[in-house]
Amino acid sequence: MQKRKLIYILICLLFLIQPSIAEDNLDEFIAAENSIQTRIDMVGTNLLNFNKIPKRVVFVYNKKDKKNLISIDKNLTSRQVVIYDGLYKSVQTDDELAAMLAREIAVVIKSYSGIWGGTIDSIQVALGSKKFEIVADKRAVDYMVNAGYNPLALIVFINKTCPQKRFDKFSRHNLTSKRLARIYEYITYKYPKYLENNEYVDNQYYQNFLLNSISNRRKLEEKIKSGSTEEIDYE
Amino acid sequence: MNKFIAIFLLLLIAGFNTSIFASSNLEAGTVHQTDIKNTHLPYDFTDTKMIPIKLAVVHEVNSEKGLIEGHKIDFKVIRDVYCDEKLILKRGDIVKGRVDTIVTSGMNGFPAEVMFDDFEIPGISQSQLISGYVKKGQNRCFWVYPLKWALTIIPLVGSLTNFIKGGHVKLRTSDVITVYYYPNWP
Repeated sequence: MQKRKLIYILICLLFLIQPSIAEDNLDEFIAAENSIQTRIDMVGTNLLNFNKIPKRVVFVYNKKDKKNLISIDKNLTSRQVVIYDGLYKSVQTDDELAAMLAREIAVVIKSYSGIWGGTIDSIQVALGSKKFEIVADKRAVDYMVNAGYNPLALIVFINKTCPQKRFDKFSRHNLTSKRLARIYEYITYKYPKYLENNEYVDNQYYQNFLLNSISNRRKLEEKIKSGSTEEIDYE
Repeated sequence: MNKFIAIFLLLLIAGFNTSIFASSNLEAGTVHQTDIKNTHLPYDFTDTKMIPIKLAVVHEVNSEKGLIEGHKIDFKVIRDVYCDEKLILKRGDIVKGRVDTIVTSGMNGFPAEVMFDDFEIPGISQSQLISGYVKKGQNRCFWVYPLKWALTIIPLVGSLTNFIKGGHVKLRTSDVITVYYYPNWP
Protein backbone atom coordinates (compact mmCIF):
# COMPACT_ATOMS: atom_id res chain seq x y z
CA MET A 1 0.00 0.00 0.00
CA GLN A 2 2.84 2.34 0.97
CA LYS A 3 4.66 1.56 -2.24
CA ARG A 4 1.57 2.49 -4.23
CA LYS A 5 1.40 5.82 -2.34
CA LEU A 6 5.02 6.43 -3.15
CA ILE A 7 4.32 5.85 -6.83
CA TYR A 8 1.39 8.30 -6.75
CA ILE A 9 3.58 10.91 -5.03
CA LEU A 10 6.30 10.42 -7.61
CA ILE A 11 3.82 10.74 -10.46
CA CYS A 12 2.48 13.97 -8.92
CA LEU A 13 6.04 15.24 -8.48
CA LEU A 14 6.78 14.50 -12.09
CA PHE A 15 3.84 16.61 -13.26
CA LEU A 16 4.40 19.40 -10.69
CA ILE A 17 8.12 19.89 -11.07
CA GLN A 18 8.32 19.46 -14.80
CA PRO A 19 6.40 22.61 -15.90
CA SER A 20 8.15 24.95 -13.44
CA ILE A 21 11.58 23.68 -14.41
CA ALA A 22 10.63 23.75 -18.04
CA GLU A 23 9.51 27.39 -17.68
CA ASP A 24 12.78 28.41 -15.98
CA ASN A 25 14.76 26.60 -18.59
CA LEU A 26 12.68 28.06 -21.38
CA ASP A 27 13.64 31.56 -20.18
CA GLU A 28 17.29 30.55 -20.02
CA PHE A 29 17.01 28.95 -23.43
CA ILE A 30 15.42 32.06 -24.98
CA ALA A 31 18.03 34.31 -23.32
CA ALA A 32 20.83 32.13 -24.67
CA GLU A 33 19.38 32.13 -28.17
CA ASN A 34 18.77 35.87 -27.99
CA SER A 35 22.36 36.42 -26.95
CA ILE A 36 23.62 34.38 -29.91
CA GLN A 37 21.29 36.18 -32.32
CA THR A 38 22.39 39.58 -30.96
CA ARG A 39 26.02 38.70 -31.40
CA ILE A 40 25.45 37.51 -34.97
CA ASP A 41 23.41 40.64 -35.80
CA MET A 42 26.06 42.98 -34.41
CA VAL A 43 28.99 41.42 -36.24
CA GLY A 44 26.93 41.03 -39.43
CA THR A 45 25.72 44.63 -39.37
CA ASN A 46 29.27 45.81 -38.71
CA LEU A 47 30.36 44.05 -41.88
CA LEU A 48 27.53 45.62 -43.88
CA ASN A 49 28.09 49.15 -42.57
CA PHE A 50 31.85 49.27 -42.76
CA ASN A 51 31.72 47.92 -46.30
CA LYS A 52 28.98 50.40 -47.24
CA ILE A 53 26.82 47.64 -48.65
CA PRO A 54 23.58 49.41 -49.59
CA LYS A 55 21.53 46.20 -49.76
CA ARG A 56 19.38 44.50 -47.16
CA VAL A 57 20.73 41.33 -45.63
CA VAL A 58 19.12 39.51 -42.70
CA PHE A 59 20.95 37.20 -40.30
CA VAL A 60 19.08 34.26 -38.81
CA TYR A 61 20.35 31.86 -36.18
CA ASN A 62 18.97 28.35 -36.67
CA LYS A 63 19.11 25.68 -33.94
CA LYS A 64 19.40 22.98 -36.58
CA ASP A 65 22.79 21.36 -36.77
CA LYS A 66 23.19 21.88 -40.50
CA LYS A 67 21.36 22.67 -43.69
CA ASN A 68 19.28 19.94 -45.32
CA LEU A 69 21.08 18.18 -48.15
CA ILE A 70 18.38 19.21 -50.63
CA SER A 71 17.21 22.68 -49.74
CA ILE A 72 16.83 26.08 -51.34
CA ASP A 73 19.77 28.35 -50.65
CA LYS A 74 18.21 31.18 -48.62
CA ASN A 75 21.30 33.32 -49.25
CA LEU A 76 20.19 33.59 -52.84
CA THR A 77 16.40 33.45 -52.57
CA SER A 78 15.50 35.44 -49.43
CA ARG A 79 18.80 37.32 -48.96
CA GLN A 80 19.00 35.68 -45.57
CA VAL A 81 22.22 34.50 -43.99
CA VAL A 82 21.27 31.42 -41.98
CA ILE A 83 23.74 30.40 -39.28
CA TYR A 84 23.29 26.76 -38.30
CA ASP A 85 24.17 25.69 -34.80
CA GLY A 86 26.57 23.01 -36.02
CA LEU A 87 28.80 25.67 -37.59
CA TYR A 88 28.23 28.26 -34.87
CA LYS A 89 29.69 25.84 -32.32
CA SER A 90 33.04 26.13 -34.12
CA VAL A 91 33.09 29.91 -33.78
CA GLN A 92 35.39 31.02 -30.98
CA THR A 93 36.12 34.67 -31.64
CA ASP A 94 34.35 37.61 -33.28
CA ASP A 95 36.93 37.41 -36.07
CA GLU A 96 35.82 33.86 -36.83
CA LEU A 97 32.16 34.82 -36.67
CA ALA A 98 32.91 37.70 -39.06
CA ALA A 99 34.66 35.20 -41.34
CA MET A 100 31.59 32.98 -41.46
CA LEU A 101 29.21 35.90 -42.04
CA ALA A 102 31.41 37.75 -44.56
CA ARG A 103 31.56 34.62 -46.69
CA GLU A 104 27.76 34.39 -46.77
CA ILE A 105 27.27 38.15 -47.31
CA ALA A 106 29.45 37.88 -50.42
CA VAL A 107 27.03 35.27 -51.81
CA VAL A 108 23.94 37.29 -50.85
CA ILE A 109 25.26 40.43 -52.55
CA LYS A 110 25.70 38.47 -55.77
CA SER A 111 21.97 37.71 -55.70
CA TYR A 112 21.24 41.44 -55.97
CA SER A 113 23.11 42.01 -59.23
CA GLY A 114 21.90 41.43 -62.76
CA ILE A 115 18.55 41.34 -64.52
CA TRP A 116 15.20 40.12 -63.13
CA GLY A 117 16.11 41.29 -59.64
CA GLY A 118 19.24 39.18 -59.64
CA THR A 119 17.44 35.92 -60.48
CA ILE A 120 19.80 34.96 -63.30
CA ASP A 121 22.91 35.76 -61.27
CA SER A 122 21.56 33.74 -58.36
CA ILE A 123 21.03 30.71 -60.60
CA GLN A 124 24.52 31.13 -61.96
CA VAL A 125 26.02 31.28 -58.49
CA ALA A 126 24.09 28.14 -57.55
CA LEU A 127 25.13 26.28 -60.71
CA GLY A 128 28.67 27.59 -60.98
CA SER A 129 29.38 27.44 -57.30
CA LYS A 130 32.98 26.25 -57.72
CA LYS A 131 34.06 29.45 -59.42
CA PHE A 132 32.06 31.71 -57.13
CA GLU A 133 33.33 29.90 -54.04
CA ILE A 134 36.78 31.37 -54.58
CA VAL A 135 35.33 34.79 -55.42
CA ALA A 136 33.20 34.76 -52.26
CA ASP A 137 36.27 33.80 -50.20
CA LYS A 138 38.20 36.76 -51.59
CA ARG A 139 35.32 39.17 -51.07
CA ALA A 140 35.00 37.86 -47.51
CA VAL A 141 38.65 38.77 -46.88
CA ASP A 142 37.99 42.31 -48.16
CA TYR A 143 34.84 42.67 -46.08
CA MET A 144 36.65 41.53 -42.95
CA VAL A 145 39.57 43.91 -43.43
CA ASN A 146 37.26 46.86 -44.10
CA ALA A 147 35.34 46.11 -40.94
CA GLY A 148 38.48 45.78 -38.83
CA TYR A 149 38.52 42.00 -38.42
CA ASN A 150 41.62 39.90 -38.98
CA PRO A 151 41.24 38.02 -42.31
CA LEU A 152 43.44 35.17 -41.09
CA ALA A 153 40.40 34.12 -39.07
CA LEU A 154 38.80 33.04 -42.35
CA ILE A 155 41.66 30.56 -42.84
CA VAL A 156 41.29 29.35 -39.26
CA PHE A 157 37.52 28.99 -39.58
CA ILE A 158 37.59 27.12 -42.89
CA ASN A 159 40.45 24.92 -41.68
CA LYS A 160 38.37 23.94 -38.65
CA THR A 161 35.03 23.42 -40.34
CA CYS A 162 35.34 22.34 -43.98
CA PRO A 163 36.27 18.72 -44.62
CA GLN A 164 38.83 17.72 -47.23
CA LYS A 165 37.38 15.71 -50.11
CA ARG A 166 39.43 13.36 -52.27
CA PHE A 167 38.84 15.03 -55.65
CA ASP A 168 37.23 18.16 -56.97
CA LYS A 169 37.29 17.55 -60.73
CA PHE A 170 33.60 16.62 -60.95
CA SER A 171 32.48 18.34 -57.79
CA ARG A 172 30.58 21.60 -57.41
CA HIS A 173 33.07 22.62 -54.72
CA ASN A 174 36.82 23.16 -54.61
CA LEU A 175 39.10 21.13 -52.42
CA THR A 176 39.32 22.91 -49.07
CA SER A 177 43.13 22.94 -49.29
CA LYS A 178 42.86 24.84 -52.60
CA ARG A 179 40.46 27.37 -51.10
CA LEU A 180 42.75 27.93 -48.14
CA ALA A 181 45.77 28.33 -50.40
CA ARG A 182 43.96 30.90 -52.56
CA ILE A 183 42.86 32.87 -49.49
CA TYR A 184 46.41 32.79 -48.13
CA GLU A 185 47.74 33.98 -51.49
CA TYR A 186 45.14 36.77 -51.62
CA ILE A 187 46.10 37.98 -48.14
CA THR A 188 49.81 37.69 -48.99
CA TYR A 189 49.41 39.99 -51.96
CA LYS A 190 46.69 42.35 -50.88
CA TYR A 191 47.04 42.59 -47.12
CA PRO A 192 50.61 41.52 -46.28
CA LYS A 193 50.61 43.48 -43.01
CA TYR A 194 48.42 40.78 -41.47
CA LEU A 195 51.15 38.23 -42.15
CA GLU A 196 53.97 40.53 -41.10
CA ASN A 197 52.36 41.33 -37.74
CA ASN A 198 50.71 37.97 -37.44
CA GLU A 199 48.40 37.86 -34.42
CA TYR A 200 47.54 34.25 -35.22
CA VAL A 201 51.08 32.90 -35.11
CA ASP A 202 50.43 31.32 -31.70
CA ASN A 203 46.99 30.07 -32.66
CA GLN A 204 47.01 26.27 -32.76
CA TYR A 205 44.43 26.10 -35.56
CA TYR A 206 46.41 28.52 -37.70
CA GLN A 207 49.56 26.53 -37.02
CA ASN A 208 47.67 23.43 -38.12
CA PHE A 209 46.84 25.19 -41.40
CA LEU A 210 50.54 26.09 -41.83
CA LEU A 211 51.41 22.45 -41.26
CA ASN A 212 48.95 21.06 -43.78
CA SER A 213 49.69 23.70 -46.41
CA ILE A 214 53.48 23.43 -46.61
CA SER A 215 53.59 22.26 -50.24
CA ASN A 216 51.06 24.88 -51.37
CA ARG A 217 52.91 27.65 -49.54
CA ARG A 218 56.16 26.55 -51.17
CA LYS A 219 54.47 26.96 -54.56
CA LEU A 220 53.42 30.47 -53.58
CA GLU A 221 56.95 31.31 -52.41
CA GLU A 222 58.30 30.18 -55.79
CA LYS A 223 55.71 32.33 -57.57
CA ILE A 224 56.68 35.38 -55.53
CA LYS A 225 60.40 34.75 -56.13
CA SER A 226 59.94 34.38 -59.88
CA GLY A 227 57.55 37.33 -60.11
CA SER A 228 55.16 35.18 -62.12
CA THR A 229 51.53 36.20 -62.61
CA GLU A 230 50.37 32.71 -63.61
CA GLU A 231 47.70 31.05 -61.53
CA ILE A 232 49.17 28.38 -59.26
CA ASP A 233 47.81 24.85 -59.55
CA TYR A 234 47.31 24.17 -55.84
CA GLU A 235 46.82 20.69 -54.40
CA MET B 1 6.90 -4.77 -9.82
CA ASN B 2 5.91 -1.66 -7.85
CA LYS B 3 9.52 -1.25 -6.79
CA PHE B 4 10.51 -1.34 -10.40
CA ILE B 5 7.93 1.33 -11.36
CA ALA B 6 9.03 3.51 -8.41
CA ILE B 7 12.69 3.31 -9.40
CA PHE B 8 11.78 3.96 -13.03
CA LEU B 9 9.80 7.08 -12.08
CA LEU B 10 12.59 8.29 -9.79
CA LEU B 11 15.13 7.86 -12.58
CA LEU B 12 12.78 9.54 -15.02
CA ILE B 13 12.36 12.62 -12.81
CA ALA B 14 16.07 12.80 -12.01
CA GLY B 15 17.10 12.12 -15.59
CA PHE B 16 14.65 14.64 -17.00
CA ASN B 17 15.91 17.41 -14.75
CA THR B 18 19.59 16.72 -15.23
CA SER B 19 19.15 16.54 -18.99
CA ILE B 20 17.52 19.98 -18.95
CA PHE B 21 20.34 21.42 -16.83
CA ALA B 22 22.90 19.78 -19.04
CA SER B 23 21.37 21.25 -22.17
CA SER B 24 21.10 24.69 -20.61
CA ASN B 25 24.79 24.51 -19.68
CA LEU B 26 25.55 23.58 -23.26
CA GLU B 27 23.59 26.59 -24.48
CA ALA B 28 25.44 28.85 -22.05
CA GLY B 29 28.72 27.42 -23.31
CA THR B 30 28.03 28.57 -26.87
CA VAL B 31 27.18 32.13 -25.83
CA HIS B 32 30.16 34.44 -26.08
CA GLN B 33 30.58 38.03 -25.09
CA THR B 34 30.38 40.36 -28.04
CA ASP B 35 33.45 42.48 -28.35
CA ILE B 36 33.00 45.11 -31.06
CA LYS B 37 36.45 46.12 -32.16
CA ASN B 38 37.63 49.51 -33.26
CA THR B 39 37.63 49.68 -36.98
CA HIS B 40 39.35 51.72 -39.62
CA LEU B 41 36.93 54.12 -41.21
CA PRO B 42 34.12 55.87 -39.39
CA TYR B 43 30.66 56.02 -40.91
CA ASP B 44 27.51 58.05 -40.57
CA PHE B 45 25.05 57.60 -43.39
CA THR B 46 22.60 60.30 -42.22
CA ASP B 47 23.33 62.72 -45.03
CA THR B 48 21.90 61.90 -48.47
CA LYS B 49 23.78 64.46 -50.54
CA MET B 50 25.42 62.59 -53.39
CA ILE B 51 27.60 63.66 -56.29
CA PRO B 52 28.05 61.25 -59.19
CA ILE B 53 31.54 61.09 -60.68
CA LYS B 54 31.59 59.79 -64.26
CA LEU B 55 34.70 57.91 -65.30
CA ALA B 56 35.93 55.91 -68.29
CA VAL B 57 39.02 53.80 -68.85
CA VAL B 58 41.92 55.48 -70.59
CA HIS B 59 42.75 52.34 -72.60
CA GLU B 60 40.39 49.50 -73.46
CA VAL B 61 40.52 46.65 -70.95
CA ASN B 62 39.98 43.01 -71.85
CA SER B 63 39.72 40.15 -69.34
CA GLU B 64 41.16 37.76 -71.92
CA LYS B 65 44.60 39.28 -71.81
CA GLY B 66 46.74 41.32 -69.49
CA LEU B 67 44.28 41.92 -66.68
CA ILE B 68 45.59 40.94 -63.26
CA GLU B 69 43.83 41.11 -59.92
CA GLY B 70 45.23 43.83 -57.70
CA HIS B 71 46.68 45.88 -60.54
CA LYS B 72 45.79 49.53 -60.83
CA ILE B 73 44.56 50.98 -64.06
CA ASP B 74 43.94 54.53 -65.21
CA PHE B 75 40.50 56.05 -65.54
CA LYS B 76 39.75 59.53 -66.78
CA VAL B 77 37.08 61.88 -65.52
CA ILE B 78 34.64 62.48 -68.38
CA ARG B 79 32.66 65.37 -66.90
CA ASP B 80 33.61 68.23 -64.57
CA VAL B 81 32.60 67.47 -60.98
CA TYR B 82 31.39 70.26 -58.72
CA CYS B 83 30.69 70.23 -55.00
CA ASP B 84 28.96 73.35 -53.63
CA GLU B 85 29.80 75.14 -56.88
CA LYS B 86 33.48 74.39 -56.36
CA LEU B 87 35.29 72.38 -59.02
CA ILE B 88 36.73 69.26 -57.41
CA LEU B 89 37.55 67.20 -60.50
CA LYS B 90 38.22 68.48 -63.98
CA ARG B 91 37.29 66.67 -67.17
CA GLY B 92 40.31 64.66 -68.30
CA ASP B 93 41.79 64.23 -64.80
CA ILE B 94 43.28 60.78 -64.26
CA VAL B 95 42.04 58.62 -61.42
CA LYS B 96 43.55 55.27 -60.44
CA GLY B 97 41.29 52.29 -59.79
CA ARG B 98 42.08 48.76 -58.73
CA VAL B 99 41.10 45.53 -60.50
CA ASP B 100 39.52 43.96 -57.46
CA THR B 101 38.17 40.60 -58.56
CA ILE B 102 38.29 38.69 -61.82
CA VAL B 103 35.92 35.81 -62.49
CA THR B 104 37.02 33.98 -65.61
CA SER B 105 34.41 32.84 -68.12
CA GLY B 106 33.20 29.31 -67.62
CA MET B 107 31.47 26.36 -69.23
CA ASN B 108 27.81 26.47 -70.25
CA GLY B 109 28.06 30.11 -71.27
CA PHE B 110 29.04 31.57 -67.90
CA PRO B 111 30.35 35.08 -68.55
CA ALA B 112 33.58 36.53 -67.21
CA GLU B 113 33.22 39.25 -64.63
CA VAL B 114 35.58 41.97 -63.44
CA MET B 115 35.08 44.21 -60.44
CA PHE B 116 36.85 47.55 -60.15
CA ASP B 117 37.10 49.32 -56.83
CA ASP B 118 39.30 51.48 -54.59
CA PHE B 119 39.24 54.52 -56.86
CA GLU B 120 41.85 56.99 -55.65
CA ILE B 121 40.29 60.39 -56.07
CA PRO B 122 42.40 63.28 -54.78
CA GLY B 123 40.94 64.97 -51.71
CA ILE B 124 38.21 62.34 -51.25
CA SER B 125 38.38 59.68 -48.56
CA GLN B 126 37.40 56.08 -49.37
CA SER B 127 34.78 56.32 -46.62
CA GLN B 128 32.97 58.96 -48.71
CA LEU B 129 32.74 56.82 -51.84
CA ILE B 130 30.47 54.04 -52.98
CA SER B 131 32.56 52.89 -55.84
CA GLY B 132 32.37 49.20 -56.72
CA TYR B 133 31.81 48.73 -60.45
CA VAL B 134 31.18 45.34 -62.04
CA LYS B 135 31.41 44.62 -65.74
CA LYS B 136 30.30 41.29 -67.18
CA GLY B 137 30.99 39.56 -70.44
CA GLN B 138 28.30 38.20 -72.73
CA ASN B 139 26.02 35.84 -70.84
CA ARG B 140 25.38 32.85 -73.08
CA CYS B 141 23.56 30.85 -70.42
CA PHE B 142 20.24 32.17 -71.78
CA TRP B 143 20.46 30.02 -74.88
CA VAL B 144 23.01 27.41 -73.78
CA TYR B 145 20.81 25.94 -71.03
CA PRO B 146 17.64 25.62 -73.16
CA LEU B 147 19.79 24.06 -75.88
CA LYS B 148 21.32 21.68 -73.37
CA TRP B 149 17.91 20.55 -72.12
CA ALA B 150 16.58 20.20 -75.65
CA LEU B 151 19.53 18.02 -76.62
CA THR B 152 19.33 15.73 -73.60
CA ILE B 153 16.86 13.52 -75.52
CA ILE B 154 19.87 12.34 -77.56
CA PRO B 155 22.20 10.56 -75.09
CA LEU B 156 25.39 12.48 -74.21
CA VAL B 157 24.79 15.19 -76.81
CA GLY B 158 23.44 17.64 -74.21
CA SER B 159 26.78 17.52 -72.42
CA LEU B 160 28.49 19.01 -75.47
CA THR B 161 27.13 22.42 -74.48
CA ASN B 162 29.54 22.28 -71.54
CA PHE B 163 32.23 23.37 -73.98
CA ILE B 164 30.47 26.62 -74.85
CA LYS B 165 32.16 29.32 -72.83
CA GLY B 166 30.79 32.68 -71.75
CA GLY B 167 31.99 36.00 -73.10
CA HIS B 168 35.04 37.91 -71.90
CA VAL B 169 34.83 41.34 -70.32
CA LYS B 170 35.62 44.23 -72.59
CA LEU B 171 35.64 47.63 -70.96
CA ARG B 172 35.69 50.17 -73.75
CA THR B 173 36.73 53.80 -73.47
CA SER B 174 33.11 54.70 -74.23
CA ASP B 175 31.74 52.74 -71.23
CA VAL B 176 30.71 55.10 -68.43
CA ILE B 177 31.50 54.14 -64.83
CA THR B 178 29.69 56.07 -62.14
CA VAL B 179 31.22 56.44 -58.70
CA TYR B 180 29.16 58.11 -55.99
CA TYR B 181 30.72 60.73 -53.71
CA TYR B 182 28.96 61.63 -50.45
CA PRO B 183 30.68 64.87 -49.37
CA ASN B 184 29.08 65.06 -45.93
CA TRP B 185 29.98 61.57 -44.83
CA PRO B 186 32.91 61.43 -42.38
